[in-house]
Amino acid sequence: MSEMVLDLSEDAQEYGRQALRAFEAAGGDQLVQDAEAKPAIRESLVGPVLNELGAWELDARTDVDGLEAAAALCRSAGYWALPYPVAERLAKPTDLESDGLIVVASNRPAGAVGGVETRWTAVTSGGTRSTVVGHGATGPAFVTPLELSEIDKNGAGDVALALALPCWTLLGMLDRAIELTIAHVSLRKQFGQPLSTFQGVQFQLTDAEVERSGLEILAKYALWSIGSDKPEAIVDALALRMSAIEAAEVVFRVCHQLHGAVGFCDETTLSWLSRYSQPLRRLPLGLSATRDELTRRAGRSGLTGLYA
Amino acid sequence: MGVEADSTAHLDQFRADVRSWCQEHIPPDWRATQTGVDDDEFVRFQKWWFAELHAAGFAVPHWPREWGGGMSVGEQIVLYSELAAHDAPRLVLAFVGIHHAASTLLVAGTDEQRARHLPAILDGEIWVQGFSEPEAGSDLASLRTSARRDGDGYVVNGQKLWASGGKHADWCLLLARTDSEAPKRKGISYFLLDMTTPGVEVRPIRNAIGDSHFCEIFLNDVRIPAANLVGAENEGWQVAQATLGAERGMTMLELAERLGNAGFRRLVQMCPTDDPVVAERLTQFEIEITGLRGLCRKLVEDAEDGTAGLADASIVKLYYSEVLQRMTDFGAEIGGLPVHTELVKSASSGWESGSWMLDFIGSWEWTIPGGSSEIQRTIIAERGLGLPREPSAV
Repeated sequence: MSEMVLDLSEDAQEYGRQALRAFEAAGGDQLVQDAEAKPAIRESLVGPVLNELGAWELDARTDVDGLEAAAALCRSAGYWALPYPVAERLAKPTDLESDGLIVVASNRPAGAVGGVETRWTAVTSGGTRSTVVGHGATGPAFVTPLELSEIDKNGAGDVALALALPCWTLLGMLDRAIELTIAHVSLRKQFGQPLSTFQGVQFQLTDAEVERSGLEILAKYALWSIGSDKPEAIVDALALRMSAIEAAEVVFRVCHQLHGAVGFCDETTLSWLSRYSQPLRRLPLGLSATRDELTRRAGRSGLTGLYA
Repeated sequence: MGVEADSTAHLDQFRADVRSWCQEHIPPDWRATQTGVDDDEFVRFQKWWFAELHAAGFAVPHWPREWGGGMSVGEQIVLYSELAAHDAPRLVLAFVGIHHAASTLLVAGTDEQRARHLPAILDGEIWVQGFSEPEAGSDLASLRTSARRDGDGYVVNGQKLWASGGKHADWCLLLARTDSEAPKRKGISYFLLDMTTPGVEVRPIRNAIGDSHFCEIFLNDVRIPAANLVGAENEGWQVAQATLGAERGMTMLELAERLGNAGFRRLVQMCPTDDPVVAERLTQFEIEITGLRGLCRKLVEDAEDGTAGLADASIVKLYYSEVLQRMTDFGAEIGGLPVHTELVKSASSGWESGSWMLDFIGSWEWTIPGGSSEIQRTIIAERGLGLPREPSAV
């Protein structure tokens, strides 16, 4: 049993920082706006920068360094609401000719992959794998219904990583949302003083930061559990997902509230981040369904946890 | 109106009359036919529905009898609960006109101003509120739009923000600074602005759900005749204070009834109610909505009797906004794929359209305008609980 690691390696962290700068140089916040206007150009818009970063050479499934780098990359992609299914691509299965893996619900499968034409595989939380043979129209936030053709039922081991990496993307979005909100309340003055000086404002932000920190540590724990091939990795990934949805709820609610009306306008980055966080928070399973799945799997034994 | 007007027998008869009117006049398919319509059709439908209500005497029940209203509070409660129970369209465009503009004119307007505008509002004149500015939101009194006296009028320059429905408005309730030297609340005046005046420019703002209900209004050397000043020069803040909250009780009751009827019904219809987790959540919402409806009813009755607490309206707004956010969030959670892919809702509905993602994102706006939740909490702390002001607040 490998010793528990609750932080990314220095290399992975440095890779994440490089990715942040590279996405900024490639267009930063403008990328998602351009992609929303034309979902079909997503590949040409961000494909080159992801290639330069060597994203598709990362082996997240069999190499722990690759896994940590993949998590760091997803987090940086989330920070810029990068309009590309980076987590899904990085979660691709190793034993199939496939470029990416999407976890889907068993009824009405869907994914935020509209406009990215590549060899997609889908997997249910129970492990049924399918080839994505077609999809419907691309809807808001690139969500599209998927047409599937079943391959096998051997995907149970694929699920945990494919659930965990999108949570890292969401974590990057929460990092950014809090950063934007701190900047906003520090700059905006009402009643003759910056909003940040009101304790009522500070406490809301601190509640959001506590949620974000909790998510961050669970994301690292689940990653370690997956990298160590723990049998309970799927349960840890579901627990991470539940925490991610709950944290996103609190963080976005607070960040919107403290931005005021301007936070709903597409002139602010928060409006875009929050809109593009929706598929991550609701697909394949929303909060209640995730909790239900977790309860069934953890059963009476509970989570293994840090001190097993 | 005395006891007689609100006697049980009278209210029962009134309820029966409203019910049969609703059955005859509310188009059963309006939600479907108004889904995805363009602006022109939305405006046409809103004006038609307003005219229908007006013909029945239901458009402005809260106005004084001589101007076309005159319903008792008991009758208004019956009216709004029946309209909601029959899933009537919501008056979106007329809202500012029949509530804020009317109460301003009735409280502080001149006879000429009332005679000019109150009948026009009944004929469909649309109003917008021009209060907030980029630097003046919660701290409204710090507004900077200026109105300079010039002969028999004023010349106005500045920018207004979050003017909901601004692009359809005929008239604007405008707050502008007429004395830049005075303390901030003492140098503001209240004007009626004709939106066709040269120098008025409206720019819609695209919001997170992709519509452009919010607007910016730019005012460049806009001339307003002195006759359109409401109340005395530099006393606009007092006018605004006296009229802003005037209708909060009954408008909140209407929204609570809509949430309790169409909103909750749609949620239940969509949910797998045989799932115990879902059933428990629905039960919780039912309890909260019952509490909300009760609070609203108590607020309007106490306001009528003059016994409402200073923080009661704030409690109702906070309660409604938070229930609404949780309920629409749950709808978005349960709704599955269509929630993501069918982002279109029925115009003329409220936040109970059943297009849950739009209702959910739209619900966030509730904790911000009309006094943000922070302002409401401050009011509840200071005026309701009698707690001291925050030390740092100026």
